[in-house]
Order: sequence, then structure tokens, then C-alpha cells
Amino acid sequence: MILWTGPLLPLAALVWPLLLAALTALPGLRAQGVRLLPIAPLPALWLALAGAEEVTTAPDLLLGVTLRLTEGGRLLLGMAAALWCLAGLAARPMAGKPNAALFAGFWLLTLTGNLGVFLARDIVTFYVAFAAVSLAAWFLIVHDRTPRALHAGSVYIVIALAGEVALLVGLILGADAAGSMVIAEVRAVLDPLPLALLVIGFGIKAGLVPLHVWLPLAHPAAPVPASAVLSGAIVKAGLFGLILFLPEGAFGPVLVGLGLAGAFGAALWGLTQANAKVVLAYSTISQMGLMIGLIGAGGAAREAVPYFALHHGFAKGALFLCVGVMLAAGARWQRLACLTVAGIVAASVAGFPLTGGALAKAAVKDGLPEIAVTVLSLTSVTTSLILIWFLVTLCGPEGSGAASRWTPRLMVPALAGVLALAVPWGLWPVWSDHEAAYLLTPATMWDALWPVVAALPFALARLLWHRKSRPLRDILRDIGRWRPGSTGLSEGFAPAAWAARGEALSAALLGATGRLEGALIRWRVSGLLIPVVVLAIFALLA
Amino acid sequence: MTAILPVLLLLTSLLPATITFFLDQDRFRLRNTLNLGGAIVKVGLIVMMLLAVAGGASYETSIPLAPGLVVLLQIDTLALMFVSLSAFLWLLTTVYAIAYFGRKREQSRFFGFFGLCVASTTGIALSGSLISFFIFFELLTLTTWPLVAHKQDRASLRAARIYLLYALPCSVVLLIAIVWLKGITGPILFTDPPDLSQVDPVTLRVIFAMFIIGVGMKAAIVPLHGWLPAAMAAPAPVSALLHAVAVVKAGAFGVIRLVYDVFGVERMTALGLGLPLAVLASVTILWGSIRALQQTEIKKRLAFSTVSQVSYIILGAALASPMGLIGGLAHLVHQGLMKITLFFCAGIYDERAGVRAIAGLNGLGPRMPWTSTCFSLAAIGMIGLPPLAGFVTKIYLGLGSLQAGAPWVLAVLAASTLLNAAYFLPMLYRLWFADPAPEVAGDEAAPALVAPAVIAAMGALGAGMLAASGVSPLGWATLIVEREVAP
Repeated sequence: MILWTGPLLPLAALVWPLLLAALTALPGLRAQGVRLLPIAPLPALWLALAGAEEVTTAPDLLLGVTLRLTEGGRLLLGMAAALWCLAGLAARPMAGKPNAALFAGFWLLTLTGNLGVFLARDIVTFYVAFAAVSLAAWFLIVHDRTPRALHAGSVYIVIALAGEVALLVGLILGADAAGSMVIAEVRAVLDPLPLALLVIGFGIKAGLVPLHVWLPLAHPAAPVPASAVLSGAIVKAGLFGLILFLPEGAFGPVLVGLGLAGAFGAALWGLTQANAKVVLAYSTISQMGLMIGLIGAGGAAREAVPYFALHHGFAKGALFLCVGVMLAAGARWQRLACLTVAGIVAASVAGFPLTGGALAKAAVKDGLPEIAVTVLSLTSVTTSLILIWFLVTLCGPEGSGAASRWTPRLMVPALAGVLALAVPWGLWPVWSDHEAAYLLTPATMWDALWPVVAALPFALARLLWHRKSRPLRDILRDIGRWRPGSTGLSEGFAPAAWAARGEALSAALLGATGRLEGALIRWRVSGLLIPVVVLAIFALLA
Repeated sequence: MTAILPVLLLLTSLLPATITFFLDQDRFRLRNTLNLGGAIVKVGLIVMMLLAVAGGASYETSIPLAPGLVVLLQIDTLALMFVSLSAFLWLLTTVYAIAYFGRKREQSRFFGFFGLCVASTTGIALSGSLISFFIFFELLTLTTWPLVAHKQDRASLRAARIYLLYALPCSVVLLIAIVWLKGITGPILFTDPPDLSQVDPVTLRVIFAMFIIGVGMKAAIVPLHGWLPAAMAAPAPVSALLHAVAVVKAGAFGVIRLVYDVFGVERMTALGLGLPLAVLASVTILWGSIRALQQTEIKKRLAFSTVSQVSYIILGAALASPMGLIGGLAHLVHQGLMKITLFFCAGIYDERAGVRAIAGLNGLGPRMPWTSTCFSLAAIGMIGLPPLAGFVTKIYLGLGSLQAGAPWVLAVLAASTLLNAAYFLPMLYRLWFADPAPEVAGDEAAPALVAPAVIAAMGALGAGMLAASGVSPLGWATLIVEREVAP
């Protein structure tokens, strides 16, 4: 029996977190299991830094696991590993809290799935990894077990399962057409139907409008470290799926349209929200929409999407972690320090000159036509707007305050922020044809600067309006009145208007099937009658 | 030696069963030793044969019963798959049943029929001709009746009566079909399928339909499934065996034999019988799941789930494509492992916490972590989520349906996945997340009940995790298809 062939590291990167997950289940380690989280992604991080050309296979696992690092996969693997590591550090204060072991175990399972998505070479491994990251993340979302978290969880699980099924059916159709399980071969032969199913499956994960409805509920409901990986790393699994499976130009106009709808719509809609995490979730939808639009646009812009996603992952992770640090801040200087970190990272996401975000935008602009460049700059305006609004909401609530060892806590988002600002510089030569000097030319700088400046008056207007207006509406009421107190997972997913109609319909359906079934069971002859009918037929034929 | 092996295999269950009948109620130790011993010897024999058959060996024995009536026992890869499943799960169920019944009464009767039931299942697996198959098939009907009626209360007796009301007429149909076909073609051996090219197609279609009624009743094909949820009145070990190994599996196995070793794929396709059978299986899959959603009792919900899941196997056979058949055959084992886990757990909840209703599961997870973990794993496998066994089946059935040119099956699989999720996930949610009812106390201080559930759950996990290896159910199913069907 051959356990594996090829280099061991890709396999070890996936097995190592699972081993740790098994450890967290041990009674002695349960309370302290979250302390293991930061070391779980280290082999994957090492793999991303060192790189590996060969294919790794574990022929006996699942339906034959094959792993391979692609160029884009390597970038996102590195980003995800680093972010999971930092978020793991941020999760350390949870040690000893209720359900910490459960959180740690499913954190590690989600992590494994997330890393696996970037490494998989065959569709079954990809599907298993994708299912792991999707479904295990449910436990991160409902961790607090507040009604809001449980509600977000039930919305999430229904949509995630639907996405799972769409993905599986799409992959099976693809595998049949290709006569192969290798992703590259499946990608070459995908018909519109499986492609559409895959876009649905990945779009749900990536927050593609209109499949994004779960995202503003779920991302903010999770504990802060989990929100950070959900918005920073996990959504990238869906994005990477699109990059991996969509041939150049497939559904291009649709993706561009929906992507831009998300990029502008979510950013503007986010302005109606008062909760900093919800605002960030809308910002994620907006940024993901932008990336999906770029995938639809194709060409060189599409090639640079992983580079863009790398920056967004670090930056969004840092911003979410800032929310947690802000809640733990007591003194005024602490709040100011946290706000400064958040402000710098936010500026990077908005694409302020010389930040990582500016580099990311410059890289994708390369391959775009003139009109698209203008649109991209306009999205920077809305991005700036929503992030300024985020900074305002971040200052809003007074936290519980005065947590011990606060400064090391701030270091975690600060470090993620530094990565967001610096790593794109390091990778610029690989992902762009331009010299670094191009970034320092006045034209480039102005391109990056004007959207941020243009956003300022709008932001000011929003602030003034806010002062005069009523408190912001709650997100649940915005999206629709959801049925509270549902325990079943099949329940609780429908706005009130449909709920009543759906209930009546399902009651009628269940009633009808129940009666028919009752008739069949009561109908003692059913065992007798059917054979008799057959015998009668045969008698007639004979 | 090779000629006697199939007989030995039968005797390992038959002999302890026969002796058990004559044992006094209080001879607990002797009875348990006998039954466990038989089960262990059988598993040992099977491991030996698995190795030999994988290497290319086959075994055959014929026992003349009367002039012209020969019981033919043979061991091929397909027979061995079914017999390994039944032997392995019989061992687990015996351990479970001994702990479950403890010092209760009427155990000699129970274990006697229990052994006979497994012997009949073994016989069905090993049968090399339609006549042998029929004999063991009917033996199974008769030996299951006392097990269903075991508690001797009103509900059990009613369940047992309903079971017979379904089983006996269908047996008549099956017998007529066998005799009719035999009258046309002479003795029907599975190794040497009859030549049906001269037979009138209409006659063949009618015979096929009669066969499906005869064996499909045991596989609980809608609308012949009514007996199965009713049989829930039986004790937990019986339900476990009924749902995972003995009766429903015998039916599904019968359909596979019928399609591949009596009619043959080409003939079935030429007669246009594959599509109606696939549609029937699909209807059963969806109907079972919809009905499962409506149940409020754990065992009833599981019973309807069985109705639905067993038809995956029939669907695989009906698709008549290599991938589909591999998926169906693998599901024979996968479903067995997962469903027996679920029923073991349902029995533990009943015995240790007094919980039978789904609403009673609230908060039992942290109190009964081993049981609940096994239950959760098996449920996840039933939905078809990786890495448990169920997802392997689904991928193969999906690919098989495309191979067979029946893409609509993908929609059935997708709907079934969502329905399964809709009735299993709320149960898991109750187990782990709902607040417990104050008066319910549950514990797991019964290792002999919990251990079989854990082992079966590990089996279901392993079957999925290591699906691609040669020792997995999928690996063996692939071997069957390569060896028996493909050439």
C-alpha cells in the first residue's frame, strides 16, 4: 500500500490541522485547545513560501487525493495560512470559555478545508475540501449561541447546503464530460449548465449578488477571530473556485454585471448599517463583487485577481480583528491607537497611494480597457465611502474595556495590516509587467488618490445626515422579517411574506402525502392487491 | 475443503441457532458463547475467503434436496460482499443484543430465530440458482416474523401480521415468476444466465415485473413499503438487523441478481425495463424522504429513511451502467454501516434515556457524547456529505446516471440530499444545541451497547475516507463489476 507519492509537505499541510483537531478533543486539552490554533497553518505557510512543483498523490484516501500548488493557489494559500495563524492568535483569549473545544475543533476542520481548496488538483478532493470549509464554518458562526447567531446559522446552513448540491451536480456533470477527475481537464469541457451550477456554488461562498444574503448575517454573528477568517480567507475559497473552473470569458457579461452590482450596491447599502462588523461584511461583498467582475472581464485583469485577493484577505482580516481589539479597549489612547491601525488599513483597501491596495488596483488596471478603468476608480470612491463609515461605526460603541494584555492584542491586527501593506510590494515584480518606479509616477499616484479625495464630501454628508437622522435600522429588519425562535434547520429561512404561503403549501403537501401513505398502510390489501393486479394482467396476456 | 466452505458458512449461524432453541432460559453464558462464537468463526472464515476470492478463487457446492431440486451454493465476489456485510454486522448486533436484552425473558427463542434469520440471509447471498434463492428468501420471511413479534404486545403482533400480509402474497408472485421462467428455459443458474432470446418480450416483461414485486417488497419499494415503518415495534437489535442487513438488503440483493445474473443488462435494456425500474427507485427515494420529514418518532423517521436509502441500491442496478452499479453495490455496504449505527444509537437513547420521540433528543449530545457522535456521523453520511461513505455512493450514482444517459437522476440525487439534510440536521441540532428537558437523564454506562455503534460508525467513516483503497466497499464493488459484469 503506497501512502503517498510526491513531496510530503502538501499532504502534511492538510493532515497537521486535522491531527491538532483530534488533540483538542482529548479531555485534558479541551479547555486550552484554542491555544493550538496559531500553529495549525504553519506547514501550509511554509509550503506557500517554499513552493512545490510536483503533484502529490495519496491514492488510497477518499477517491484518490491529488494535490498541486498552482501559481494563484500558492499566493492565496500563503495569505490564508498567515491570516488563519494571526486569527488563531486573536482567538487565544477564548481559552477556557464555554464550548472552546468545539470552537477549536471546527476551526481546525474549517482551516483544513480552506487550505485544501487551494491545493486540490482533482475535483473530489476539491469538493471535499470545499464542503469542509462550508459546513464546518457553521459552528464558527453559531458559536455564541445568541438568537442572532443561531438565526444567522440557520440561514447560512440552508444556503450553504444548496450551494453544496449545486457544486456537486456541476462537478459530476463536468467529470462525466471530461472522463477525468482532474480539474484542468474538467475545466476544458464544461457546458453552460454545469458552469452555471458551479457559478452558483462558488458564488454563494464568494458573496456574489444576489446569492450573498447570508453573508451580512453570518460574518458579523461569529466571534471576531472567526469573522476575520470568514471575510478574509474563507470567501476566497469561492473566488478561487471561480478562477479554477471558469474558462476565460465564460459568463463574462453576467459576472461583470453582478459583480459591479455588488461592488457598488453593497458598498452603498452598507452605509445604512450601524454595526461595524455588518458594515465590514458589506464591504466584503463589495470587494468580492469587484473581484468577480474582474474574473468576468478576463484577460490580464483576471490573471491579477489572486494578487488583489491577497491584499484584500490581509486587510479585511486586520479590520475585523480591529473591531475585537476596539471592544476590548479601555483607555482613550488605546481607542486612538486601534483607530489609527484601522484607518491605515482602511486607506489601503480604498487604494490610497503607495499602499498595498493601490498596488493591487494598479495591477488589475493593466489589462482593462479605458472605460473599465474609470469604473474601477468609481468603485474606489464607494469603497472609500464605506470604509470611512466603518471607521465612524468602529468608534461608536464603548466596549467592555480594560482587557488585560491589551497591547499584544493590538499587535495581531497591526501585523495583518503590515502584511496587507507590505506583501504586495514584495510580490509586485512577479504579478505586474511594470517596474516599481511606475508606482511612484504622479499619474499613478493621482489615479489612486482622487477616488479617496472624491469620497470625502460624500462621507461628510453621510455623517451630517446621520447626526440628524434616527438610529440606524437593524439588518434583520432590512432584509425582511425573519421567523424567530426556529429550532429546525429546515425552518426559519423565509421572509414572513413567503413564510405563511410556504407553510400553507407544505402543510397541504405533507397532508396529502400523509393521507396517501395512510391509505396505503391501512389498505391491508395493498400487499395483496398489487400482486393480484399483476396476475390478472398476466392472465389476460396468456 | 473448497466444496465444504459454503456449507460451513451456513452452519456457523445455523448450528448455534438450532442448539439455542433447546437451551434453558437461564443458560445465559452458554447461549451467548454459542452465538458469539458462531459469529466470530464466521467472520474468520469470511476474511479467509475474501483473500482467496480476491486472488481469483471461487467455491461451489450443490446439495440435492429432492429429485430435480438442488440447492446450489456458490461464492463469487458479489455473494461474498453481501455475506461479509451480514457476518460483520451480525457479530456487532449479537454483542449489542446480548447487552440490550440483559436478563429479559424469552431469549432462547429470540437468539434462535436471530441465528436462523442470519443463516437465511447467508443462504440468499450464497444461492447459485433461482430455486435456492427462493428457498432461503422464504425462510427469511418466516424466521423474521417471530423477531418482529418478539415483544408480544399488541403493536408488535400487529406489525408482524402486517409484515406477513405484505410478504406472503408477494412470495406467491415470486414463486409463480420463477416457475414460469423455469418452465420456459429450464433451471436458472446465476453463473450461467438463461438464454432469453427466444422468449416473447411481453412474457419477459410480465415475468420481470413479477420478480420485482416478489423481491422488491422486501426492499420496501413504494408502494410495497408499508410493512417496514410498522415493523418499528420490534426491539432495537431486530430493527438494526432488519434495516441494515437482513430483510431489506436481501430484497435489494435480489434485484441485483435478477438484473445482472438472470436477465442480464443487454436483455433488460432491450426490453426497456431499466427506465421504469429507475423511475420506481427514484420515486421511492423521494417518497421515503418526504415521509421521513413528517415523523415525530426517531425509529419511524429512520425507517422511512431506510425506504429511501435502499432504493439507491436498486437505482444503481437499474441504471445498468458500470459506474452506477458500482455505486449501488457500494451503497449496499455503506447504507448497512450507517443505518445500523443509527439504529444502535436509537436503541441506546431508548434504553439509557427513555427517549423515543425526536423532541426528546434535546440536549442529549453532551450527556451521551459517544452515542451522539456516532449518530451524528452516520446522519452526515446519510445526507451524503464527505468524508463519510454516503458521498462516495452519490458521486458514483451521479456519474453512473450520466453514463447510462439518464441525467434526470442527478436531480433526484440533489433533491434527496436536501431532503435528507432537512430531516437529519434538525435532529443533530436538537442533540447538540437545544436545551435539555430537565427530567430526562441519560448516561452511557453500557459499553456493550455503545461499542458496536462506535465500530459501525468508524466503519462508515473509513469506507468514505479510504474509498479508493482496495479494501474498501467501493474497491470490492469495483472488483465485482470488473469480474462479473464487464467482461
